[in-house]
Amino acid sequence: MGKCIMTVDDSASVRQMVSFTLKGAGYEVVEACDGSDALTKLSGKPINMIITDLNMPNLDGIGLIRGVRGNASYKFIPIIMLTTESQDSKKQEGKSAGATGWIVKPFKPEQLLAVIKRVLG
Amino acid sequence: MDVKYINPFIAAAQTVFKSMLAIDAKMGKPIIKNKGVASGDVTGIMGLVGDRKGTLCISFHERGALFVFKTLVGDECDKLCPEVVDAIGELTNIISGQARKEFEQAGVNLSAAIPMVVVGKNTEMNFITAIPIISLPFSFSVNNGDHETMYLDFSFE
Repeated sequence: MGKCIMTVDDSASVRQMVSFTLKGAGYEVVEACDGSDALTKLSGKPINMIITDLNMPNLDGIGLIRGVRGNASYKFIPIIMLTTESQDSKKQEGKSAGATGWIVKPFKPEQLLAVIKRVLG
Repeated sequence: MDVKYINPFIAAAQTVFKSMLAIDAKMGKPIIKNKGVASGDVTGIMGLVGDRKGTLCISFHERGALFVFKTLVGDECDKLCPEVVDAIGELTNIISGQARKEFEQAGVNLSAAIPMVVVGKNTEMNFITAIPIISLPFSFSVNNGDHETMYLDFSFE
């Protein structure tokens, strides 16, 4: 069975794009529409990695990271930010919260897969 | 308007089209608009604030929007359904993000608001800046060799 990756974005289009790319590479995918939805779905099936947007309603990407890192079971799960924000201050905020990596949109599918492969091995 | 405030938008539009859609978008002749009216049938709108302030609009006619949706997401829609509207909103968000990155490299720091999308022909829009609005048309090839246009309209001060 392939590794399972959660994609978190309030845009259905982005979730669909990411999901399509990951499934094509053999990964299982769980979709969540914001940070709050993601935290709820984390308690379902085992997740090997989270790819999340930054700006989302209800709970944003930083809040999600803090929520995940606060749970002992998911303390070390890789979390990649996939966002349009490229400012160093934002990246630093993500890193401080516990983000593993940062991909700035626009992205190419192969770029996303290369990062995942590097992180998940 | 100084070209240093126009070039980041041009670079952003072409970079995003190339990266996300694998399409070369060719810029046509810019026009000056003296009325805040949407250029196409579906329009993503993003406010920009920071060292400067302005509004960015990304607008498509229906056929162009449907083609972009199909290319971006892989699904087909035959009308401007919520999924297509979402995709145009996200494309606006990504072009805005790339433009902000280009501006940052030129020493201009900007932040973006949440994008919104309006659907309808000749929709009136109030830009947060004074007119005129600069409209940059980008032509791209669709399925059968026909061309569609993405309009990048902005005002900036």
